Amino acid sequence: MSRSTLLSVALALVGFIALWTLVVAVSGFPPFILPPPWQVADRFVRAIMDGTIAPHLWTTLSEVLLGFAAGAGSALVVGYALARSALVERLLSPYLVALQATPILALAPLIALWFGPGLLGKVIICALIVFFPMAIATMVGIRSVDARLLELGRSLRATRRQVLLTLEVPAALPSIFGGMRVGVTLAVVGAIVGEWAGAERGLGVLVNLARGSLFDIPLMFATLLTIALVGIALYLIVVVIERRLVGAR
Amino acid sequence: MSPPRLAVLVVLLLVSLIAVACRGADGPATSESPAAAPTPDATASPAVEPSLGLPPTQLTVGLGYIPSVQFAQFYLADQAGYYREAGLEVTFQNRIDPDLITLVGQGAIDVGIADGTSMIPAVSQGIPVRYVATVYGQFPSIVFGKTSTGVLAPADLAGKRLGIPGRYGSSWIMLQALLASAGLTPEDLEIVEYPDFGQGAAVTQGAVDVATGFANNEPVQLALTGEDVTILRVDDITPLPGPGLISGVATLDVKREAIEAFVAATLRAMEAIAADPELGLEAAIAAVPELASARETQAAILDATIETWSGPLQAAQGLGKLDPDGWTASIAYLTELGLVPDPVTVDDILVQDLLPAGN
Repeated sequence: MSRSTLLSVALALVGFIALWTLVVAVSGFPPFILPPPWQVADRFVRAIMDGTIAPHLWTTLSEVLLGFAAGAGSALVVGYALARSALVERLLSPYLVALQATPILALAPLIALWFGPGLLGKVIICALIVFFPMAIATMVGIRSVDARLLELGRSLRATRRQVLLTLEVPAALPSIFGGMRVGVTLAVVGAIVGEWAGAERGLGVLVNLARGSLFDIPLMFATLLTIALVGIALYLIVVVIERRLVGAR
Repeated sequence: MSPPRLAVLVVLLLVSLIAVACRGADGPATSESPAAAPTPDATASPAVEPSLGLPPTQLTVGLGYIPSVQFAQFYLADQAGYYREAGLEVTFQNRIDPDLITLVGQGAIDVGIADGTSMIPAVSQGIPVRYVATVYGQFPSIVFGKTSTGVLAPADLAGKRLGIPGRYGSSWIMLQALLASAGLTPEDLEIVEYPDFGQGAAVTQGAVDVATGFANNEPVQLALTGEDVTILRVDDITPLPGPGLISGVATLDVKREAIEAFVAATLRAMEAIAADPELGLEAAIAAVPELASARETQAAILDATIETWSGPLQAAQGLGKLDPDGWTASIAYLTELGLVPDPVTVDDILVQDLLPAGN
């Protein structure tokens, strides 16, 4: 990352904190409604140091990673099938759109009922929320392959596997990574929604504990900050991998 | 000024305006909390007698997550005109459970219901709320199970499987107190968490030996299946204050007489229902018609609820009576558990002069 980029990020952060401080000062909101940034920072450090956040963080992270892997993996297969088979597209499209249109908030309690409050339910919720954008990105990416290249491949008697690995996947990668950027942040949302529907541990549980049981609003904000940092970190990992495989865009 | 700078300035200005507007919309702040202001009031004055021709004082009351027969006293006071006679126009709100105390402290809700295990940490964290009347004289969170499992006293819990929604909140605090009374800790039994609140069904199905629940809910439903049920209560061991009426400091400043009138009217309805439970059942069914489909169950839940309204103090001195000694003991116990970050006293939590004479 260049020095100017780092400087921009630092300036944006300073601006955000300044704005937050200004809103606290002007509105006069007490800390139980809107704590000032330094109080949240202090609580965040204490929660990290005393081990309050760690077990919840690992739980959420496992749900996100497993859910993203399951959702993205199946979306790649279905997305490819959608791109290459009109029949599959006709058969699956209505269900995919219906799934996307159904709020995950409404599905989460049902999934918790069917699969229990453990890891499996959360992984399924994450996978569902990741699936649609990833499948559509894959479909668009595969369809974007230059038809003349495919024609050339056929004329050279390239096998299906060779066409896939040398033409379709490289051409579709930018679009697939676009879907991954969206999907990985949605997976975090899915994990939190799943935890709200019933869980023993996780950052979503800690938000509710801080809010409704401990009345520790700075801890709630510190947990929200942790959730945001998880999303940012995962997004950046996808960007780094994308740059290695596709190059900067 | 360059366009980017101008844009930043405009955004800052807008945010400031919105923040000021949010503050201003709630009316003048009158308490320790600048944002704490009660809901808009037609008169901004204490409750008035309707006979004087003045408009009634509006009160917003938060009742918990789901409309239920457990709120029969509020439904009766509303339907029988007790609130109207007291110069009040009461609006009930549900679906706000997790944030109820915060909303009451903020002044968005005038009156709510909360127990000691929530109020003590909340006040300790600086939320400006006060407890003004006891509704449940006995702490309703209990441990229950089939009598056939052999759990008849806290000491019998050793080695048993116990279902609980999670290791937090009133049921977790109650359980620790119950176990401590028998020299046990949570490590002495197998705790099974049911975050989906399925612990009651788990007892019925035999998946766990006992579970935490509410005296006026799960054990009542289990007993209706014909099962002998044992209930372990915490009251005799560590008196934890049960759910009662709470209000915000700012609301009490502005609507003190209205809150006092609300407390009196609600207690009047509780006494009427205690004398004739059918009154409460009919009021609850009128408010929530769906309850009529399980009338027998609702009647049993209401009976258990009425029983829980009266602890020894309320039985001796009247419904609603506050128990400062019990609160003091609870503060000490919650402090031991590390749930009281900043010290609080009974005077920081209770307002003891809003109960009608004789209570």
